[in-house]
Amino acid sequence: MSERNQLKQFLAGRIWLRHLLPFSEEAVDEAMRQGDIHIEPGVTTKKTWHGKHYACQRCHNENQARFTVFTCAQCEAPCAYCRNCLNMGRVSCCSELLTWTGTPPTFPTSHRMNWQGNLTPSQQKATSELLESTKQGVSHLLYAVCGSGKTEMLFQPIHYVLQEGKRVCLAAPRVDVILELLPRLTTAFPDTKVEALYGGAEVEHFDAQLILATTHQLYRFHEAFDAVFVDEADAFPYTADETLQQAVRKAAKPNAPIHFVTATPSRQLLAMNKKQGHISVLARRYHGQPLPVPRSVALWNYEKQLKKKRIPAKLLRWTAERLEKQQPFLIFFHQIELMEIAEPLFQKLDERICAVHAEHEDRKERVQLLRQKAVPGLLTTTILERGITIPNVQVAVVGAEQTIFNKGALIQIGGRVGRSVPNTSGDFVLFHQGITYAMDEAKREIRKLNHTEVPQ
Amino acid sequence: MTCLLCDKPLHDQPTWQHFLGMQQDTFACLTCLEKFERIDQVIQNDVLDSVHSLYAYNEAARAYLHQFKFMQDVALAQIFAPALRRVLNDAKKIVVPIPMHPVNKKKRTFSQVDALLEAAKIPYQSLLEKTTESVMGEKSRSERLAMTELFHVPADIPYNEAVYVLVDDIYTTGTTLHHAAEALKQRGVHRVEAVTLFRPIREK
Repeated sequence: MSERNQLKQFLAGRIWLRHLLPFSEEAVDEAMRQGDIHIEPGVTTKKTWHGKHYACQRCHNENQARFTVFTCAQCEAPCAYCRNCLNMGRVSCCSELLTWTGTPPTFPTSHRMNWQGNLTPSQQKATSELLESTKQGVSHLLYAVCGSGKTEMLFQPIHYVLQEGKRVCLAAPRVDVILELLPRLTTAFPDTKVEALYGGAEVEHFDAQLILATTHQLYRFHEAFDAVFVDEADAFPYTADETLQQAVRKAAKPNAPIHFVTATPSRQLLAMNKKQGHISVLARRYHGQPLPVPRSVALWNYEKQLKKKRIPAKLLRWTAERLEKQQPFLIFFHQIELMEIAEPLFQKLDERICAVHAEHEDRKERVQLLRQKAVPGLLTTTILERGITIPNVQVAVVGAEQTIFNKGALIQIGGRVGRSVPNTSGDFVLFHQGITYAMDEAKREIRKLNHTEVPQ
Repeated sequence: MTCLLCDKPLHDQPTWQHFLGMQQDTFACLTCLEKFERIDQVIQNDVLDSVHSLYAYNEAARAYLHQFKFMQDVALAQIFAPALRRVLNDAKKIVVPIPMHPVNKKKRTFSQVDALLEAAKIPYQSLLEKTTESVMGEKSRSERLAMTELFHVPADIPYNEAVYVLVDDIYTTGTTLHHAAEALKQRGVHRVEAVTLFRPIREK
């Protein structure tokens, strides 16, 4: 492939800093002369009555607190740069962002789907609805409970878009989810060029047709995809960060559908899709058993007791019972500090118990140890609330009344329990000091889903 | 406000002291600041009359310099502004930053030492000029020691009696500071001190 062609394959759909392009100056200049590349300043400035208003052209951040102005030696003037997308290479007033405006690249239209699994009737119904929406080009919400086999339901719609010779993106807010999805999709589409993009990943294929990316990576795309699927659409930081939601919107082509897949849709997401009627609800897990309903147990002054180096009696009894029955368990804490106080106390019960949080690099291995029963249980923050499957795991939440445990988080945490056959149920207990609305709502929602009629 | 290093919100209460300008702004959270190890190491040698290094060059310092210099995050200059101000607040001393070569400065879009001093609101005089484009970090120890004349002083120095303080971000082998001090002393300066933000220390 000529360098020009490679440049086209790479830059089409992307928005890239000129000095970070992995191509020679000559190739870029040549393409510019032919009018195939559009240049725009990295940060635009608008004058308002109260001063200057900056906007980042890559991540569309307009929060003025996220810009820093300094005296630039390159443009020899006060220059602002965006701190929101800094780790992808700094974008400032004097840096140049390139987009491809020439003829778009073409993609193959024949793709093999290598997946023999069977879908349950309700899964099949949801998939067909999602496929129908994709064909019509309208956004769809797939509202499916934890452990209902969401990924498998995406295969048919993705295959359809690929067969049309179009580009697809499967985005998720967390790297862990992307890393888990990658092997499943490469086996499902063995002939398709698939690429995973996340912080620290190398760019390999220049013309991948199916792209898996963390939502952060979509800052670097511009009207690239004919369909975007957002998995775990309610996870942090996607819901909290307005610029990530914009990133997804701008990465899709203007009329392309953006589908959301989640077990705990926000009210906003539900309202948006309900109005148009493009929503599929999947209320039953693939094994057909109901979701575990949480039970609430009062645990007063747990924080004080832990700080006095004592495990509260009820929590101690619960843990001892799990150890005795040799059931793997997860105990969720709202705060890293409190969890680290508790860790040595639990290690007195069994020295193999350990803690996991976001800054532990070996959290994957520790979860693996739990699966292999080398470790009887883990203490964790909300980092393990989604995306993991451990057979026969029992779950406790300490301090369920804390604001971090909102309705969505509690449902996700409960979704860890009873995911696989034959252990289709388990204990899901909320230790609290006062019941919050979130706890009530989570319980009500789980009950409601369990009572929903499903096609057999 | 959020912490410049970890982006977590800072829990700063509005106070009267802050409103009246008696309290400085905070830019980083305590958890992040605690990762920097204060050493306040002072050493002397034949050319430099004292070298004061404020912090150990540990993992946090490495990450800080990476984000500041290579990711070009100028805002991070604020983090050490209070510490530098406290050390360099002597009005009788003349502060001289270690310069970058103009070509390199244009590439990076700013000079890190100037940015540190500007954030700390310390007046400085750029008396030195870098003569080579080569960068210390890419050289081995023997190559560094074999270098000749890294800096020259373009203008006349008016007050030979005054104390001159060189400022740099990191002190590794000392070659840079040594050359800079030599250049000043050749012009008749009596006393040259130095302040650096970081210095590698041996693990015990």
